[in-house]
Amino acid sequence: MKPYEWMVRYTAQSEWIERRGVLMWLAEVASGLGAGLYLISLFFNNLWGMLVGWLIVIALKGGFHLAYLGKPLRFWRIALKPGTSWMSRGFIFMVLFIGFGAIQMAFSYWLPGTGLEVTFKVLTGITVFLLAVYTGFVMNYVNGIPFWNSALLPLLFVLGGVLDGCGLIIAIGLFGGDVDIMAAEAVSRVLLVSTAVVIGIYLWSATYMGAAAKQSVVELVRGHIAPILWVGVVFFGIIVPVVISVSSYFTGEASSGLLLFGIACETIGAFSLKYCILKAGIYSPLISVNIY
Amino acid sequence: MARYGMVIDLLRCIGCYSCVIACKQEHFLPSGIFWNRLVIGETGKYPVVAKQMYPVLCNHCKEAACVKVCPSGATTKREDGMVVIDYDKCVGCRYCVIACPYQQRTFYADGKREYFPGQGLTELELIGKELYPLQPGTVVKCNFCAERVDEGLKRGLKPGVDREATPACVNACPVKARYFGDLDDPRSEVSVLIKEKRGFQLHPEFGTEPSVYYITQ
Repeated sequence: MKPYEWMVRYTAQSEWIERRGVLMWLAEVASGLGAGLYLISLFFNNLWGMLVGWLIVIALKGGFHLAYLGKPLRFWRIALKPGTSWMSRGFIFMVLFIGFGAIQMAFSYWLPGTGLEVTFKVLTGITVFLLAVYTGFVMNYVNGIPFWNSALLPLLFVLGGVLDGCGLIIAIGLFGGDVDIMAAEAVSRVLLVSTAVVIGIYLWSATYMGAAAKQSVVELVRGHIAPILWVGVVFFGIIVPVVISVSSYFTGEASSGLLLFGIACETIGAFSLKYCILKAGIYSPLISVNIY
Repeated sequence: MARYGMVIDLLRCIGCYSCVIACKQEHFLPSGIFWNRLVIGETGKYPVVAKQMYPVLCNHCKEAACVKVCPSGATTKREDGMVVIDYDKCVGCRYCVIACPYQQRTFYADGKREYFPGQGLTELELIGKELYPLQPGTVVKCNFCAERVDEGLKRGLKPGVDREATPACVNACPVKARYFGDLDDPRSEVSVLIKEKRGFQLHPEFGTEPSVYYITQ
């Protein structure tokens, strides 16, 4: 690429996906997985799931974000502008979730069924939902990248996160956790179909959001990112889990090995989906001239 | 209070890169970092083609996306309209780099990068690190030579008129393609140029209201 070719052609954002930007991608995936697992664990009242989700958020999401910062020791400053910055809000949601989550899990373990436990479950539920949704708003706020500038993005991130959480809770159930696997599978089926539909609508609607957003979709569908979309998101993330899910619906019960394979595929799908969305973030050309 | 802005005459610009170099000199910008850039392109198809020079820099937007998204309060908008970064507050999250629709922000990653790789920092680079201490791990961008403007104002000079109070790129332009001044003053040179020559901004559809205008008449 010539030095300033990026100003006269569609230019993909690179800060959040290339070089150290890979850490942002991993943090985004961990955010969805952790928050989704915690949400679904609250639904199934599974303490192990909550603990794993909580740890994913602290260790992986927090760790990757911290490692990405240019000045990690100043991380606390991120909380200073919640009035206008979604990143600031997200940091506050995360801190609140960590605090409320720790207290709630303590109550769930030592004082289950008490009013305090219920109160903190509600508080943690709200903060973890906000945690799941805020990454969508962080990206949705960026006007310069029309592909991200969609109201469907936060919804997609929440659905995807809860879907992945559903897979992880089934895995916890398979390894001896107290989980109603059939119920989790039923929820998973609904989420799988919903996520697939939202991905489809998101891509379709993006083609009407201007030339740059349309170019993003073209890159995703038949450009250099296409293999990751079709193999990672569509095949591993949707088709394989749907086939396993539908077969288990008709046969009554799928084997543990098959379920674990399906969960692994779903997780590959989660990584691929976030990668595709970050990688397909394209800026409009700064000026409209041909390349010299 | 004034709101400073710039007007760039695209018909006058000859693409000499004086502004780019003057900016690098003024701020001792490290290797690979540019606050002023020059885009050279062409329109039309052979044999009817026209060469175009587009000097680009931070637009110091009135509704700056970077100011809104900055989570640490490092990027702020001064009363005079200049968007500046406090390097002591920047956490290096790069949300502003992503949010700027004009892609005018750069993450300064490598403080040890030399102009002549393997030969160590030159004397000039070392002086620059003392005089203009950019911090590796933070985001940098054009500041409209805020330090020159402030110093000039203290001495009672007028930005855009007196050289000592005017950005280096404006001073360096040999064909006077750049103008600097108060956009809120209807009698200032920049306001008159924008009005008379129908100044336009880059991507006004983003709603950021850039303070850098271009004229082609």
